[in-house]
Amino acid sequence: MRALQWQGVNKLAVGTVPDPQLRNPGDVIVKVTRTVTCGSDLHLLGGYIPFMEKGDVLGHEFIGEVVETGPDVRNHRAGDRVVVSSFISCGNCWYCDQKLYSLCDNGNTNPAITETLWGQAPSGCFGYSHAMGGNAGSHAEYIRVPFADVGAFGIPDAVSDERALFASDSASTGWMGADLSGVKPGDVVAVWGAGAVGQMAARAAVLLGADRVIVIDRLENRLAQARQHAGAETLNYERDDIAGELRERSGGRGPDVCIEAVGMEAHSPGPQFGYDQLKQQLRLQTDRPVAVRDAIHACRKGGSVFVLGVYAGFVDKFPLGALMNKGLTVRGAQMHGQRYIPMLLDRMAKGELVTEHLATHVMPLDEAPRGYRMFKDKDDDCVRAVFIP
Amino acid sequence: MIAGPVAAGAAVVAVQRRGRRRPHRRSHVVTVFRPLAELEVTQLPGSLKEITDGVEIRLAEAPGGRGTEIAVRIPEGSSVTDGEVRRALRETRSLLEAGDVLLPSGPPTTVPTALNRPLQMATQHGREGGLL
Repeated sequence: MRALQWQGVNKLAVGTVPDPQLRNPGDVIVKVTRTVTCGSDLHLLGGYIPFMEKGDVLGHEFIGEVVETGPDVRNHRAGDRVVVSSFISCGNCWYCDQKLYSLCDNGNTNPAITETLWGQAPSGCFGYSHAMGGNAGSHAEYIRVPFADVGAFGIPDAVSDERALFASDSASTGWMGADLSGVKPGDVVAVWGAGAVGQMAARAAVLLGADRVIVIDRLENRLAQARQHAGAETLNYERDDIAGELRERSGGRGPDVCIEAVGMEAHSPGPQFGYDQLKQQLRLQTDRPVAVRDAIHACRKGGSVFVLGVYAGFVDKFPLGALMNKGLTVRGAQMHGQRYIPMLLDRMAKGELVTEHLATHVMPLDEAPRGYRMFKDKDDDCVRAVFIP
Repeated sequence: MIAGPVAAGAAVVAVQRRGRRRPHRRSHVVTVFRPLAELEVTQLPGSLKEITDGVEIRLAEAPGGRGTEIAVRIPEGSSVTDGEVRRALRETRSLLEAGDVLLPSGPPTTVPTALNRPLQMATQHGREGGLL
């Protein structure tokens, strides 16, 4: 079959690889019908997460049609149209019981790497390096989905492929940020990053009853989408005084909830960007935590900060003093998709959550290297590039 | 690209661990989300059964409804390795909780290179390493 493969730092190519096989009785094979780029892929592409092998298949956000089922699969059969959570979870361990699916104890075949790095291992993810299980990704004609009764969900007829695709990761990640940071009616919520995840977090905050939701980015096309589709206010950090505006728009208190949806390759107009980039290039820190720093400084006393962006290791100049003295709650997570996807599909069917606008560029899988270049460079106002195998 | 800082961080952790190292080998422990009443040392599934003769196994109820703690200690003179115990505990936990042990994707799509050889060696023993 054809698949998009990582060939080295900043090198992608579409090649021919063996078709995936059922490996466990709970597996299904899905014929991928839509698969989409994610900002976190850029960390793999750029070599910031050094656990890739030449030939690895990228992609973790996708939908498709079930074509083969293992003998233990009960919830799916050939022909089902499904959306699949990007994280692989058994559904039966203590973490899954707590609905913390990305922390599943049994979904990562290589727990040693992340256990050594971080103390404990999160679960596995599709197409996201050998630290996350080395699972072949979705930028391919077919994909093996383990624990399919837990991680694959039938798509209601009322939800189009174009909309359902983003339930796989972006919408569930964004919703998780708003949910687990405790957004409630009356809150002022600030979201750093107007990419797909940031927009979904903002929309979730609106639907959860936040009084004001403010999205921060530098790309006007993305900010326009956040206004139009998420119902958020926006700020451009290249033009606006973010800290001052947030203070003013929250009655001088600071936002109750600050959601960071940027990740380890954050940009900023100030001198701290140069400082962070230099340290990152000199390998003196792994991640550029600009947006996390800003979120912690902006947040009101006793407020909540949620880190949705992907980080790999260590950062410098972390404002621990502000965190402690302001009594903040800081939380983060990879996405617990299984917890949210059924609810999100229901909201998508009702029209409360729309996502089609995120797919600014749709192209055949064979053009995926071009799609990633556009996505990385934000060419032609690319928000997400969707590939059709 | 993150290898430098990661290595530095790992070195700090390793130094901290060396400083705390006790004279005797510690137990390796996992918590399985199954009630203690359902488990018996002699009936544990998977590769833990294969090394039972070379290790000491203790079961205890985990607090807070978290299930059962399975502790394995390797006695002096045993030929069983730490890696074998880690793998056995992880596989046994998965069998007890999920009824199966997840296998890696296959067939492989990667090609061996000089650069990825260390990573391939690490992932070939993915359940044997780590801190467990």
